[in-house]
Amino acid sequence: MSKSENGRKAVLVIGGGIAGIQASLDLANMGFKVYLVEKSPSIGGRMAQLDKTFPTNDCAMCILAPKMIEANSHHNIELLTCSEVEKVSGEIGKFKVKIRRKASFVDWEKCTGCGLCVEGCPVIVPNEFDQGIGSRKAIYLYFAQAVPKKCVIDKREDRPCKAACMDACPAHTNVPGYIKLIAEGQYKAAYKLIRETNPFPASVGRVCYAPCQEACNRGQMDEPLCIRDLKRVPGDQWNIEELEVPVVAKTGKKVAIVGAGPAGLSAANDLALKGHSVTVFEALPEPGGMLRVGIPEYRLPRKVLGQEIGYIQKLGVEIKTGVRVGKDVAPAKLKKDYDAIFVGIGAHGGMKLGVEGEDISGVMEGIEFLRDVSLGRKVNVGKKVAVIGGGNTAIDCARTAKRLGAKEVTIVYRRSRAEMPASKEEVTAAEHEGIKIELLTTPTRFFGESKKLVRMECVRMKLGEPDASGRPRPIPVKGSEFAIAVDTVIAALGQVSETDFVKELGVSLSKRGTVEVDVKTGATNVEGVFAGGDVVTGPAFVIDAVAEGKKAARSIHQYLMGQPIGDEEPGKEPDKLSEEEVEEVKARVPARNKVEMREEPVDERTEDFREVALGYSPEEATEEAMRCLAGCIEGCIQCHECERRCEPKAIVYDMKDETITLDVGAIVVASGLGLYDVSSLTEYGYGRIQNVITAMEFERLTAASGPTMGVLRRASDGRIPENIAFIQCVGSRDFRNKNYCSSVCCMHATKEAMLAFEHHPGTKSAIFYMDMRAVGKRFQEYIARAKKEYNVTYIRGRPGRIEVNPENGNLVIWYEETVSGEVKCFETELVVLAQAMVPQITKELARILGIELDEDGFVKVRDKLVQPLDTTRPGIFACGYVHSPRDIPDSVTQASGAAGRAAEAITGGK
Amino acid sequence: MEDKSLSHPRIGVFVCHCGINIGAYVKVPDVVEYAKQLPNVVHAERNLFTCSEEGISAIKKGIKEHNLNRVVVASCTPRTHEPLFRAACEEAGLNKYLFEFVNIRDQCSWVHMREPEKATEKASDLIRMGVAKARLLQPLEEIEMKVAPAALVIGGGVVGMEAALNLANQGFDVHLVEKESELGGLLRSVNKLFPANQEAVKLVKPLAEKVKKHLKIKTHLSSKVKQVTGFIGSFNVTLDGKGKDNEFTVGTIVVAVGAEPLRPTGQYSYGKMPNVITQLELEERMKKGEAAGQNVVMINCVGARIPERTYCSRICCMTAIKNAFLIKESNPKAKVWILHRDLMTYGVDFENYYRKAMELGVRFIRYSLERLPEVIGNGKVEKVRVYHELLRREIELACDTLVLTTPLVPAADNQDISKVLKVSLDEFGFLLEAHLKLRPVEFAMDGIYICGSARWPTDVTEGISQAYAAASKAAGPLRMGFVKAEAINAFVNEDECSGCGVCEVLCPYQAIEIQSRGEKRVSHINEAVCKGCGTCGAACPSGAISMHHFTDEQILAQVEALFS
Repeated sequence: MSKSENGRKAVLVIGGGIAGIQASLDLANMGFKVYLVEKSPSIGGRMAQLDKTFPTNDCAMCILAPKMIEANSHHNIELLTCSEVEKVSGEIGKFKVKIRRKASFVDWEKCTGCGLCVEGCPVIVPNEFDQGIGSRKAIYLYFAQAVPKKCVIDKREDRPCKAACMDACPAHTNVPGYIKLIAEGQYKAAYKLIRETNPFPASVGRVCYAPCQEACNRGQMDEPLCIRDLKRVPGDQWNIEELEVPVVAKTGKKVAIVGAGPAGLSAANDLALKGHSVTVFEALPEPGGMLRVGIPEYRLPRKVLGQEIGYIQKLGVEIKTGVRVGKDVAPAKLKKDYDAIFVGIGAHGGMKLGVEGEDISGVMEGIEFLRDVSLGRKVNVGKKVAVIGGGNTAIDCARTAKRLGAKEVTIVYRRSRAEMPASKEEVTAAEHEGIKIELLTTPTRFFGESKKLVRMECVRMKLGEPDASGRPRPIPVKGSEFAIAVDTVIAALGQVSETDFVKELGVSLSKRGTVEVDVKTGATNVEGVFAGGDVVTGPAFVIDAVAEGKKAARSIHQYLMGQPIGDEEPGKEPDKLSEEEVEEVKARVPARNKVEMREEPVDERTEDFREVALGYSPEEATEEAMRCLAGCIEGCIQCHECERRCEPKAIVYDMKDETITLDVGAIVVASGLGLYDVSSLTEYGYGRIQNVITAMEFERLTAASGPTMGVLRRASDGRIPENIAFIQCVGSRDFRNKNYCSSVCCMHATKEAMLAFEHHPGTKSAIFYMDMRAVGKRFQEYIARAKKEYNVTYIRGRPGRIEVNPENGNLVIWYEETVSGEVKCFETELVVLAQAMVPQITKELARILGIELDEDGFVKVRDKLVQPLDTTRPGIFACGYVHSPRDIPDSVTQASGAAGRAAEAITGGK
Repeated sequence: MEDKSLSHPRIGVFVCHCGINIGAYVKVPDVVEYAKQLPNVVHAERNLFTCSEEGISAIKKGIKEHNLNRVVVASCTPRTHEPLFRAACEEAGLNKYLFEFVNIRDQCSWVHMREPEKATEKASDLIRMGVAKARLLQPLEEIEMKVAPAALVIGGGVVGMEAALNLANQGFDVHLVEKESELGGLLRSVNKLFPANQEAVKLVKPLAEKVKKHLKIKTHLSSKVKQVTGFIGSFNVTLDGKGKDNEFTVGTIVVAVGAEPLRPTGQYSYGKMPNVITQLELEERMKKGEAAGQNVVMINCVGARIPERTYCSRICCMTAIKNAFLIKESNPKAKVWILHRDLMTYGVDFENYYRKAMELGVRFIRYSLERLPEVIGNGKVEKVRVYHELLRREIELACDTLVLTTPLVPAADNQDISKVLKVSLDEFGFLLEAHLKLRPVEFAMDGIYICGSARWPTDVTEGISQAYAAASKAAGPLRMGFVKAEAINAFVNEDECSGCGVCEVLCPYQAIEIQSRGEKRVSHINEAVCKGCGTCGAACPSGAISMHHFTDEQILAQVEALFS
C-alpha cells in the first residue's frame, strides 16, 4: 500500500511526545499532511508520565491532553501509533518512507476503549508507563487518557499448548487464565474468573470429573496439570464471602426456577446478574441439589457449598426450600406469575434392582441413602454392608457406610474394573479406606430372617459382546452362584427424574422420561419454559449441569428481552499436540511431575465426615500452576477472555504486522528522551535499596492516575515519607557516565519536593546539588518559593554513599558539604535520584534515517549556530530532547521551529 | 437569518449504552421512553455505542427520516466526542450548533454506580435539561476572515532576520522593521559566539546581505512601528515615517525586539575606576584586538539573582566563560578568574565548553550573596578579595581588569510594543507569552508571535530556533489564506449597555472597545477576535452581554427544566 496523497506536501514526524505533537500541529495548521509515527500505542510521550510541570505546577495531563486530542482529530494529521520507521529512501522533497505498523491484535475501528477486556485479562505484567512500579494486563490501554483510546494486546509468543482444557470443559471455563492467576497468587481474581462460567468454583474444584485434565496437553509430555485441585485453591486461600456484589439495573422481569441444584442455581445466578428477579423453588429442605444431598460431606464440606449458594442469594435470588412444585405450588400459577420458567429438577429418584427380596428391611436405595445421611436423617447401617453398582454414587455410598460405622464394606459390580464409571481417584481412595470390591458379580436374591437381611446370593459374570452403551455385556456364569453374609445392601444403580409436574406444564418428555428440549437453547416445546441439567440429559456431572443452566439462562434472557434466541457458538473438540509439537514443547519446557495433594490419614478420616483432600498450600499451588504450558509464556497467553468480553468484537488474535509506504517531503525527528540506568552508580544503591527511587518513579507515585493513585509511599514499609532527599546529577556531569548536564533535573527535583509537600503537608525535602541551574522564566522565583513555602533545603555537596538504617529502613546519606568542607551524614526516609536522561534514538534508526549522532547519542546538527535544527541530512530536522537536553517549553519551541524549517524546505526554500 | 422551519423544533434524542459503561447502571430503554414523551421530541433511540459507525449513521438516518432540526446525544463527554457528533449533524445537513451534548456517563453511571435507580433518574433529568436547551438552539456560523499574505517582523537582529527569511522563503511578503540604521542588533557589538567561537560578524553580515537581497523582504531601517489596528488576517500597520511605504497590511506579526545588557550602577566601582568594565565592553575591546590584561577577574551575576532583580538571565555564565576562554587562548600566560554563584552551563555544549575552559586554566571561584567579593585599589582596581570556600579563607586576586557580567534586561521597546500591539508584559518587563509551558512563542492574542530575548534572555542558537518557531506559527494563517473565528462568541444588546467599560478592561483578548453611538457610548465586540470565554458576559452590570449558544434564555430553560 502506498500513500501518496499530497505527495510533496506531506511531512513525517517521528515521535509522539509533546515535541512531535507540537511539530505535527504546526505543520497541519499550515495545511501540510502530517504522518505522526509513534512506537508505543499512544501519543503523549514522557510528558504524559509527569504529574505536574514546573514552574507553573500545571497538571501535565491537563495541559497535554487537549493537544493530544487536537492531534488526533486534526484532519491533516494521521496518527500512526504502534509504528516504527523501517526504511527511508529518496531525498529532500521526495522521501519514501517504509513504516511497520505493529499488530495491536485489536481492530481499532471497532474498539471503543471501554476497558472491559482489560478487567478480564488474567495476565499481569509490569506497567512500563508506570516505570514498572505498578502492573498492567496483557491486554491494556497504554494509560487512562491514551490517544487514540484503543486497547492493544501484548502478545509476544505463541502458546505452546492448544488449551484443550477449555474445549473439553462443558462450561468452557478459562482454565489457562485462572491457572495463571493462581500461579501469581491472585486468588480473588482467579475466583472471579472461574465464576464467569461456573458459579461454584470451590465446590466444583472438589468434585468435578475434570475432563479438562484428561484433555490437558501437558499429559502428552509428562503428567496432566492438576486442574481440579488448583481450581479449589482460590476458595481455600481467599475468603469467598469477601466477593463484592455488583449493582445491576433491574429489568422488571420475573423468572421461576424449579430445582436448586447446580443447573437451577447456575441459571439463577446468570439471570440475576442480568437484572431479572429470580425465585427458586426447591422441594428439599436445603438448596444445592445433588451437590448438597448426593455428594457426601467428606468430599464437599457444607460450609463451602453454603458460601457459594449464599453468594447467589446475595445477588438477589430468592430460594424457597421445602416447596415442591406440583404439590405446594400449582404449575399453572408459576406460568401465570412469572415471565419464564426454568426446570432443573435433576434426577433424584432411585432405581430398583429387580431382584427377589429387595423389599426386606436392610436393602436400601443408594441415592436415597446418601440424601438421608446428608440431611441428617436417621439411617441404620449394619456391620456388613454391600453396595451394588460401580459408579461414583456406589463409591460414595460405600465410603459413607464406612463412616457410619460399618465394619466391612464391599462394592459389588457386575463388570470388570476397567468398566467402572467411578473416577479412578475415588476407587483408589475407597480401597485405601479398606473397602473391598467384588468385580464381575451381581446379586440374584436377598435372604432375611425375622424380616431382617442376613445374606445375599450372587452370581459371577463374564464379559460378552458390547451392548448398546458400548460396554461389554455381562453374562452370568452358570453354576457360579455363591452367598455373602450381609446385614445391609445399598443399591446404587442410577437415578431417574420425577417429572409429574413437568407434564402438567404441557412439556413433552422423551421415552427415557427426560424433558425434551432444543439442545442448543434449552427451550422446551412450551413457550417461556426452559429446562436443563439431569432432567434433560439424564444423570450427568455437576459441571454438565452448570453448563446446561447457563445455556438456558442465556436463552431465557434473550427471550425476556425480546431478542431472537440465538445458538451458542459451537465449541470445538479438544485438540491434541502432534508428535512433533510434543517434542518441541519438551525442548522448550522442562519436565516436572505434578504436585500431589495431601490427604487426611486413612485411620482418622473414616472416623467422621471431615474433608479428605486437604488442598494445596499457596506454595504448592504456585508450583503446580506453573506447570501449565499456556502460562509459561511471556505476555498474552491467548486464553481469549478478552474476546469473550469484547462487546464490539474487536479482538483479532491473528492480526499481522503491516507495512506501509509514505511519500513525504520532509522529516522531523522528535523521538524524545530515555532514562539512563543508574544502577551502575553503586554508591547510591538503586535497585539494591528499596527506598532509593528515581525521579521518574517518584513522578508516577505522585500522579493521581499512577499505580498508587497519587499516594507517595515508600516500598519498604508503605510509610508516607516525611523526610525526602533528592540527589542531583546522578549519571550527569560525571565523567564515568554522562559528561553533559541533563538540563531539567534541578527544576524537576524542586517540583517533586513541592509535590511531596502538597501531597503531605509538612514534608521536608533536602536537595543535594552541584549547581542549581534555574535559567528559565520564573525558575529562580520557583526555587525561592520552594525554600520559603515548601520546606525545601538546598545542600551543595555530592553524596558519596548511602547506607540503610536497619532499625527503620531509613537511609543515611554520607556527603561532603562543599560550603563548610565537612563530611556529614543525613538520615532520610526516601531518596530520589535525578537520573541522567539520554536521547532516545537508536543507532539503527539514525542509520535508517541517514543522519549522524554525536558521541553522546544526540542528533548531530549541520551547524550549531546558524542551522540549529537541521540534521546532517537535508530535509530531516530534529527537535526536543533527542536534539539536546532541554525542558518542555524549549522542546515545544524547537518543535515549532523544526516545523517551520520543514515547511521552508518543502516549499522551495533552503 | 432566522430559519422559519427552526421555530418548530423537531428534536431527536440518541441515548448511548456505551457497552455496559452506561448501560449496566442506567436503564437506557427507560430513559429512551422518557425522552420520547418530552415536548418537541419526535424521535428517541438507543445505541450500543453511539460513536461507532452504526451509531453515527443512526444519527444521520434519524435526521433525514424524522426531519430532525435539533439533535441531542446523551453519552460520554463533549471533551472527546462533541466534534464527532457535530460532524455527523453537519454531514446530514444540519448546522452543527443545533447539536446538544448530555453527559450521562461521567455524571450518571460513573458517579452513581452504587445507586443505579438514581443514576437512571438523573440521566432523565439531564436529558430533559438538554432537550429544553436544544429547543432554543440557533444555527451559528464561524466567520471566515481572509488573511493578507504578508507578515510584519519587528526587530532586525539575528532572530528577526531569521524569522523574516523563513517566512520569505516560504513565499510570503515580509516587512522587517528595525529601529537602528543597520541590521544586526546586539550581535553587532559582540566579538565571538559560543560554543564554536565563531566571529559574530561572520554570522550577522551574510544574514543581513541575504535579507537585503531577498525579493520578498522589505526592510524598513531606522523605523519604529507607530500604530497597529485590526486583527489576525488584517493588521493595518503604520510606521513612524511618512509616505505610502509606511502603511501596509499584514496577516500576522512576529516580535523580535531583543533585550539589552544591564549597565551597572556603581557596583564594584564601575564608572568610578577605569579598569572596571562590562562583558560587552570587553567584547568590543577584544573585537578591536585590544589586550584584556594579564590578570583578569570576572564577577558573575552582577545585578542578577538579587532581591531587586530575582531572575537569572540564562546566557551570562557562558558569556563570561567564552571571554575567559578567548583571553586564555590568545594569551596563555594571562590569569583569568571567574567569580560565580551557580554556574549555568546546562546541556551538552556548555558543559563541555566549561570543562575545556578549566583545562585551559580558567579558574572558577564560587562566591555567595552573603559574602560578596570586594574591590581593593586606589583610583583603579588592584586586587579583588574573595572568600574561597575550599581554602576556607579569604584570598586576594591580583587584578588589572575587572569584568562585570550583567544580565540582559527588557528593552525599553517592550513598553512601546506592549502599547502598540496591546500585548502584555510579565512581572520582569519582558513580553508575556500565551502559556509559559506550551505556547512559549505565541501571545494570547491571535496572529502575533514572539521570539528571542524580548520574551526571555536567549543565546543565538536558541533565538534562531525560536525565530523558526514564531515564523512557523505566523506562516500557518498565511498559508491557509483564511482564519475562522469562534462562532460561540459574545454579543451586546446596545439598548441595555450603559457603556461603563468594565468589559473592555476585563477582556483577555482585547476584543472589546467602547464606541460612540451618537450621544451614547456602547460596548462593541469584535467577533473576529472574541474567543467566547464569557468573562464580559459574567461581569456586565447591565446584563447587556450574552454568549451565543449559552444565552440566558437557553440556560434558564435548562434550569427551569431541572426544577419542573
